[in-house]
Amino acid sequence: MKDKIGIVVGIGIAAAVLVTLSFFVLNAGNLELNEIIPPGIVLILVASALYILWDRIKNVRKGLPAKDERLKLTNYKAGSYGFIAAIWSAVFAPVSSEIFFDYELPGSQVTAVVVLCGGLAFMISYLYLAWKGS
Amino acid sequence: MKTRIKELRARYDLTQEDLARKVGVRRETILFIEKGKYNPSLKLAYSIAKALETTIDDLFIFEED
Repeated sequence: MKDKIGIVVGIGIAAAVLVTLSFFVLNAGNLELNEIIPPGIVLILVASALYILWDRIKNVRKGLPAKDERLKLTNYKAGSYGFIAAIWSAVFAPVSSEIFFDYELPGSQVTAVVVLCGGLAFMISYLYLAWKGS
Repeated sequence: MKTRIKELRARYDLTQEDLARKVGVRRETILFIEKGKYNPSLKLAYSIAKALETTIDDLFIFEED
């Protein structure tokens, strides 16, 4: 039951993100290349999350658990890598922006970079560790 | 770490999925344990040993690095 609730909540969150993203894209007008990158990363994250959910549904249908001790460990490891990436990007993004582009990143953009870097690092390490075995 | 899970599974005519269902984990976890890519917790090792009617000592062969 807990597994099924987790899957339903996950699908709900993914759907909400996709709806928000489509509102943003439809109301943004003509987007430049640098404006397409953040929604593109969000789309990759949602697609990866949907793949993980599909994998869990497949297991639940077979009568197997959606998550077991190995995947919980994978989750913790990927979470810590995501956290490290978020902290690193919070420092690196504003500093590198000033040094290389002579542009002071506003707080909202730093937040976006931190969230996207953390999310991307989490997703890449989760998929890699789940595929690798430990 | 080497295991005799595959050998004992064959003896009881169990697939990875059957064993996974018996011990309450995903099939891939059994696969990775068999390949030596994942070290299970003591609790899971005990469950697998119990499901295959053996002991942890008999199931896992520890190798010094």
